[in-house]
Amino acid sequence: MAEAAIRGGCRAYFGYPITPQNELLEYMSAHMSKAGGVFIQAESEVAAINMCYGAAAAGVRTMTSSSSPGISLKLEGISYLAGADLPCVVVNVVRGGPGLGNIAPAQGDYFQATKGGGHGDYRMIVLGPATIPESVELVMLAFELADKYRGPVMVLADGMLGQMMEPVVLPDPVDPATLPAKTWALTGARGREPNIVTSFYLDPGELSAVDVKRQGRYRQIEEREVRYEEYQTADATVIIAAYGSVARIARTVIKMARSDGIKLGLLRPITLWPFPYAPLRALADRVDAILTVEMNAGQMLEDVRLAVAERTETPFYGELGGLVPSPRDILREVKRYAR
Amino acid sequence: MPKGTVIIDKERCKGCGLCLLFCPQDVLGYSTEHNLSSYNFVCMKAPERCTGCALCAQTCPDIAIEVYRQKKTQEGD
Repeated sequence: MAEAAIRGGCRAYFGYPITPQNELLEYMSAHMSKAGGVFIQAESEVAAINMCYGAAAAGVRTMTSSSSPGISLKLEGISYLAGADLPCVVVNVVRGGPGLGNIAPAQGDYFQATKGGGHGDYRMIVLGPATIPESVELVMLAFELADKYRGPVMVLADGMLGQMMEPVVLPDPVDPATLPAKTWALTGARGREPNIVTSFYLDPGELSAVDVKRQGRYRQIEEREVRYEEYQTADATVIIAAYGSVARIARTVIKMARSDGIKLGLLRPITLWPFPYAPLRALADRVDAILTVEMNAGQMLEDVRLAVAERTETPFYGELGGLVPSPRDILREVKRYAR
Repeated sequence: MPKGTVIIDKERCKGCGLCLLFCPQDVLGYSTEHNLSSYNFVCMKAPERCTGCALCAQTCPDIAIEVYRQKKTQEGD
């Protein structure tokens, strides 16, 4: 993910160590300066996200990364980035929670990532990779989307992906010099009117106009940027809805189920916001059940139920506390709904 | 004298447990301690059963395991 960020044109990384994402920070410390960028291990998570605010305002592609408790600390900064329309990539390698929790893989930060977390009426594109090659792809995409829609974009991984090794083919690097100029950035006002980057508008009318404009961009994102994967859904009578690491496990379950004669498929949201409501709704009309599987107590489940709107059964299976669901346990749940 | 022994670099180990699954002799287990990254690392729970087959080292994604084998002694030694 760190190399993908550098190749994605990131030239300013600010972070603070936390397991299970220390490898990202370590890689950045070794390689960012070689790419001609800035690496700073900040004094805290709060400092790191605010350094991102500064770098983003100066027009540089910037990133920070952390794990669950650290992301909670960064939320104030994320809200300010959203309020000031600043592009920034935030990687969350989710661990067990709440509180300090533990350092094992979990998906308990889905609500925090997709429903706000920070204060104010903002949205954040949230990308959920399931493999290391996809993490590379989505980190690079995150920089594109952040610049395109001017706001923070989160890559929501988990402790399993954070500690995993897989072969990847690295894409060609993006040269930051070739990116479109950011006319709004603070680059020195010589020969032009000064730009102002702020989230502070004391006049309600003025703030409302800024907010309405931003909401317009969010609607565009919902129309254009929904990404998901369907796997063996064509003939399926039961569907698993899962993202990230759990979606990988679901593929094993599908193989096991199909050898038992159960027509099982998978719908895997890649963008967790904007959520793929329409494809799920379409599936709901022709399957017996959509089983949501997560490493939490049922968070994405609420979006699944919103999409399905009681067109079919929507059971849930989850593991808590950093435990990872086993294919056998998921298959047992599937069999309760397969006719 | 067991035929083999393994040395685990506890700071490289993230406790994924793949080696535990692969060990045919059930030699390995989790330590009660944690490393500097707070991972519950793996150690030898039944060293007397180790054959030095090195499956654990081959499966370790973090190259945290070194395996040593006893030299074969000549007959009668």
